[in-house]
Amino acid sequence: MKKGLVKLLALLLVLAVATPLVAQVGKSSKPSKDWKIALVPKDSTNAWFVRMEVGVKQYAKDTGLNAFQKGPAKTDAAMQAQVIQDLIAQGVDAICVVPVDPAALEPVLGEALKKGIVVVTHEASFQENTMYDIEAFNNADYGAFIMDNLAKAMGQKGLYTTMVGHVTNASHNEWADGGVAHQKATYPGMTLLAAEPRVESEDNLEKAYERAKELFKKYPNLKGIMGTSSKDAPGVARAIEEMGLKGKVFVSGTGLPNENKTFLKDGTLAAATLWDPKDAGYALCSLATKILKGEPIADGLNLKLKGYESMHFAPGSKKVLLGSGWIVIDKKNVDSFGF
Amino acid sequence: MINMRRMAKRSEPYVFGAIVLLCLLIQVQSKQFFTGNNLVDLARSMIVPALFSIGAMMVIVSGGIDVSFPAIASLAMYATDRILLNVNYSGNVMLAYAMAAGFGLAMGAVNALLIGVLRLPTLVVTLGTSSLFTGIMQGALAASESPVPPSILAHGKEKLFTATNTQLGLTSDMPSQILILLGALLLVFLLLRYTMLGRGIYAIGGDEAAARRAGFNVVGVKVFIYCFVGAMAGVTGMVRASMMMNAHPTNLLGMEMTVIAAVVLGGTRVTGGLGTLTGTMLGVALMIILSNSLILIGIPTYWTRVFTGAVIIIGTGVTAWQAGGSGRRLASSGTGL
Repeated sequence: MKKGLVKLLALLLVLAVATPLVAQVGKSSKPSKDWKIALVPKDSTNAWFVRMEVGVKQYAKDTGLNAFQKGPAKTDAAMQAQVIQDLIAQGVDAICVVPVDPAALEPVLGEALKKGIVVVTHEASFQENTMYDIEAFNNADYGAFIMDNLAKAMGQKGLYTTMVGHVTNASHNEWADGGVAHQKATYPGMTLLAAEPRVESEDNLEKAYERAKELFKKYPNLKGIMGTSSKDAPGVARAIEEMGLKGKVFVSGTGLPNENKTFLKDGTLAAATLWDPKDAGYALCSLATKILKGEPIADGLNLKLKGYESMHFAPGSKKVLLGSGWIVIDKKNVDSFGF
Repeated sequence: MINMRRMAKRSEPYVFGAIVLLCLLIQVQSKQFFTGNNLVDLARSMIVPALFSIGAMMVIVSGGIDVSFPAIASLAMYATDRILLNVNYSGNVMLAYAMAAGFGLAMGAVNALLIGVLRLPTLVVTLGTSSLFTGIMQGALAASESPVPPSILAHGKEKLFTATNTQLGLTSDMPSQILILLGALLLVFLLLRYTMLGRGIYAIGGDEAAARRAGFNVVGVKVFIYCFVGAMAGVTGMVRASMMMNAHPTNLLGMEMTVIAAVVLGGTRVTGGLGTLTGTMLGVALMIILSNSLILIGIPTYWTRVFTGAVIIIGTGVTAWQAGGSGRRLASSGTGL
């Protein structure tokens, strides 16, 4: 019994290693009305992916193609692999995936590729068994974009600092570095607070709020905080409101619409930035269709969607495509997202 | 007994001295320590850790250790929040506190059963239940950040007064939840000082067999402690949710270490039998002042952990040295207990 299990595992392992990168072509011989394009999110109950499905439905409506979303009921790598297995059995033509755990999906995605199914991924830049991976943006560019929003609110002058979840978090620090580099190149009137150039919020609303209060007490000249973690902007905004600094001190950063609604509406927070999962869902379907049609995928790829009009390969990669798919959430559009 | 308590008291002046030194350092470095709004900010930050530390101190005094209170607080708060949101509750906030206390009590009863009745080791049990309660929250309730009902939101916005910093014109609000902390302190003070139950908590922590022979119902006292601490954790979870105006399922987790460190820093003996509320509050004050003043002192983020660690080691070291010192003095003077 045990031996049999080991043999099975070994076989799976061999399959997993042997199958990647087969048939990068993917052009379908079927007429396009028969294509089935499935998007598998991490978790179909999560608000983020409920929003992504809106993009998939929009794509199906715009193109008349059979595109749909089907995901596990909770964030679980094994359940997600099962969903993909079922889709392969149903004979879909393309699978778009946002993996829970990219490594855990390698075998099943390898199997899909072997069967000639088009596989594209999102938020999985190290996935082996995929044709292409879409990332909404380049980290440094996104940081520069947050900085643009802060600079606009601060009138392009004054002292500012940056806040990250943890100083060890790779993407937060890449955003902050990108923002600081952009400020140095573009906004000479602004200065980075040398004594505290990077503050930690521990991805915690309460800590972001406490750290901001300390900063405002210690550095009365501080005019802005660039947030990166989604907890930074709302936490700092609370401190600004309570301390009576509205209109004098500004914050920008990543933020979910619902969490920031109050502060955006009363003007404490000028703008929150985000990438819209709806657009990512739309872009994934659009990319899968291009491959099915046999169109070449090259640098400068246009998926005919704002933020994804001119996608570039990440340096040194032939699979990872970067867009500039971020959006600004402000007073005017905050109610239109539904997440 | 009385001598023991007096001995514990002797470590309090050292913690107090450390706080005074730290405050002076912050004042010199920032000129901002002794301002109304800074003191209000600190009091506000103390509320949740102080509420937790009262329960943690009771458990440690009784000879146990509890690491499950953040998980109990999170699950009690989150379950209450979701139920109230589902029924569109808009009534009094007291019901929310009562429900959270009820959930906390139920979870505390699980600890009480395993520790008090089945006599399993406290650390193992509470590590297990901590994981269990977190699992229920993340699995069964599929917890994610969620808003709070309107009455809790309104309660979160209540303030007792607003302190203004005349130098910089900054203002800070004192949240009404501080009254809950003061109430809990009074209740536990009376319990520990004037009831046989309170005496029992010290007695079983000092020597369980002796306490049993002296006629204390050891199982009963333990069951009471874990149920009470569970209910307090539930209330604390709701305090945090109302102060943040948002129910965050994981944001309290990991706090147990800071809280236990504060309790020990305040002179509570880890092996049980010794500990005071005054010492505990001083320990919490030291930890909170420290973690909320590193920017004011001017320590760069990269060095904050080194600084915090050093203060904890020096602080607990002095406390331990002091306790050892009095023990030696006690032994050499031959007074005994």
